[in-house]
Amino acid sequence: MPIAVELENIIFGYDKERILNDISIDIQSQKFTTIIGPNGSGKSTLLKVISSLISPDNGIVRLDGIDIKNMSQLDIARKVAVVPQENNIEYRFTVQDIVMMGRYPHLGRFQTESIRDYKLVGNALEMTNTIHLKDRYINELSGGEKQRVIIARALAQQPKIILLDEPTSYLDIQHQVEILELLENLNKEEGLTVIAILHDINLAARFSNNMILLKDGTVIGEGNPREVITLENLKNAYEIDMIISKNPYSNSPYVIPLSRMGKGKIIKEEKIHVICGGGTGTDLIQRLTANGYKVTTGVLNIGDSDWKFSQIYDIETIEEAPFTDISDNSYSSNISAIERSGIVILTSIPVGSGNLKNLEAVHYALNAEKRVIFLDQYVNQVKYDYTTGDGEKLIMNIRNNCRENYKSIQELLLNL
Amino acid sequence: MSVHLNKKTKWRVILIVLMMVLFISCIVATTLGTARVKIGDSLGIVLHQVPIIGKFVELDDVSKNHQAIVKNIRLPRIILSVLVGVSLSVSGTTFQGLFKNPMADPFVIGISSGAALGATLAIVFKLNTTIPFFNTISFFAFLGAAGATFLVYNLAKIKSKIPVTTLLLSGIAVGQFLTAIMSFLMVIFSHDLHKIIFWTLGSFATKGWAEVRLLLLPAAIGWSLLYYFAKDLNIMLLGEESAQHLGIKVERTKGIILLINSFVVAIVVAVSGIIGFVGLIIPHIARLYVGPDHRILIPVAGLTGGIFMLFVDTIARTIISPMEVPVGIITALFGGPFFIYLLRKKKSTL
Repeated sequence: MPIAVELENIIFGYDKERILNDISIDIQSQKFTTIIGPNGSGKSTLLKVISSLISPDNGIVRLDGIDIKNMSQLDIARKVAVVPQENNIEYRFTVQDIVMMGRYPHLGRFQTESIRDYKLVGNALEMTNTIHLKDRYINELSGGEKQRVIIARALAQQPKIILLDEPTSYLDIQHQVEILELLENLNKEEGLTVIAILHDINLAARFSNNMILLKDGTVIGEGNPREVITLENLKNAYEIDMIISKNPYSNSPYVIPLSRMGKGKIIKEEKIHVICGGGTGTDLIQRLTANGYKVTTGVLNIGDSDWKFSQIYDIETIEEAPFTDISDNSYSSNISAIERSGIVILTSIPVGSGNLKNLEAVHYALNAEKRVIFLDQYVNQVKYDYTTGDGEKLIMNIRNNCRENYKSIQELLLNL
Repeated sequence: MSVHLNKKTKWRVILIVLMMVLFISCIVATTLGTARVKIGDSLGIVLHQVPIIGKFVELDDVSKNHQAIVKNIRLPRIILSVLVGVSLSVSGTTFQGLFKNPMADPFVIGISSGAALGATLAIVFKLNTTIPFFNTISFFAFLGAAGATFLVYNLAKIKSKIPVTTLLLSGIAVGQFLTAIMSFLMVIFSHDLHKIIFWTLGSFATKGWAEVRLLLLPAAIGWSLLYYFAKDLNIMLLGEESAQHLGIKVERTKGIILLINSFVVAIVVAVSGIIGFVGLIIPHIARLYVGPDHRILIPVAGLTGGIFMLFVDTIARTIISPMEVPVGIITALFGGPFFIYLLRKKKSTL
């Protein structure tokens, strides 16, 4: 695979602060590569090094094998186009004028634009779906239109490589996807090498062939999205817990960040045992731990989404083998967990024969005069009882006997 | 394709019309003054000066007196005012583009204060030099202008780069500092006050062919060089980083434009004093009509500036004739309201 950009031992810093710390990477030609990483990790600086806006203190940048030091500003402009993050052009240039500026590196100083230049500009406008704007003034366009015009200008430059610094950060969701799909097309159909910094890890994973994960000026992950988007890498880079699932439509990794306060210090004396399952507990557990409670959960089948979540949050859980009914053994573990806690909370779990024993455990708690709170959100669910009525009966019972029924987590937390 | 051709044709038409207006204004201006010269005679006298064509012009019917007035007094002054008007407007246009700042004018980097201080020194210390082409005050004004620019440029320079904000702030700081020294001198040498004030307000009175000869060549070279950077200035309006990405050596371009402007404006100030307003407002007026593209903006601003300066100087020398009003007063007095009128009228499309 040919290499478009080759970085070798790049070091860059301002005064004593190192921004880029010995970076060596090869970026493949004709691929869609995204650079991700937290703020201040050196993403933009890295892009500026590639576009020769800044020269590194140490190291070599090669474009198509040629050392950038041996290239003039114009040589580079003929090979690399850059789309900056912000494009605040306050001057009344028409869209066509702006895109024509992309021809600058190809034109002599007094050479007027030829028919070919107008054709190339027309193509760029068409590819970016901005041809209808060509006589409009750039300063009168919306953010998404402006960004597309700037990409058109970059295309008129006929580059081999296009660099984009968070091209979608000021756009709303449909325009974000529109811009990325445009880049994907250009990459696939025109063979353009795309190198983009993206804020949104999920969009990055969905669109890129390769990803580079930066932290503190160092590459901590490199490869295809599945290789880069790992729990370990993300935890390392962003210092926050995440859940990685799969985007059901594109099959790319999909990241869900969890509450950053999640694993804060335990500051409350009270222990809370949460009886949940099927994802009905995740939000509540996050909020409770964020508020400093020590939380236990149970009984949960291994693989259940609340179980997964408890694992990530290091929460003590009474577990049961996957797809198995709750055994007497786990039931009694659950009872002893209830005994040890000050409060028992039942979420609106879907009830089946397998977890009926969880409701029985709540009954036990009620009879034992424990403080039991029922997060009653069943109204929202069309069907929750998968038993032949036993579940519904038990729930009705709990609803009548439990003194604290709340409809929302907010309400619950206020009364805790 | 047709859009492209239309644009270029439109530009050409605008320039030709403006040139014709400028030429006609020049001829009309030569007829105005205490001595009324007929327009036909004026045209004859002017054309007589032009090589080749001059041979076919008969001046037998025109009085020698009128010939002398037009040829030796009015014509050089008119040409000088046009040169100064063009120079200040072109310089203001390029500075506004370079700094991406609508408040920029030719004097923004301290040139005027430097020149004023130089002139003041020459006046109060009764300095005398024998430099060809220059009179003493002009020479010291030039030195002051060049010195101030040099100082501001070096103060603003951070590691071979000239950040725009630093440059503007250094310009203001140095300008205020030099103005303070000048004011101090004015207080101490109060008997020269009148002369200093008159100089700083700018005037073309008593100026002749010597000043025209001094300014013509550097100004023409300066305009051409600035026009040479028209495309670069357009792209630099997108921001310095974008410009660099399109292949422009931004710092070098900035340095060259600063240098050319400083040199031309220093000479302009030396011959005419500090004529404000033109370099600030004319570029805006031109931009209102032809847009921000420097390939048309620079010549249109230049021609408009020339016409405007000729117009105000004609008023300056005729309004309370035979007395002279400093032209710097008239520029703002007439130009200010006119610009505000345009701004209000064009508001919707600004």
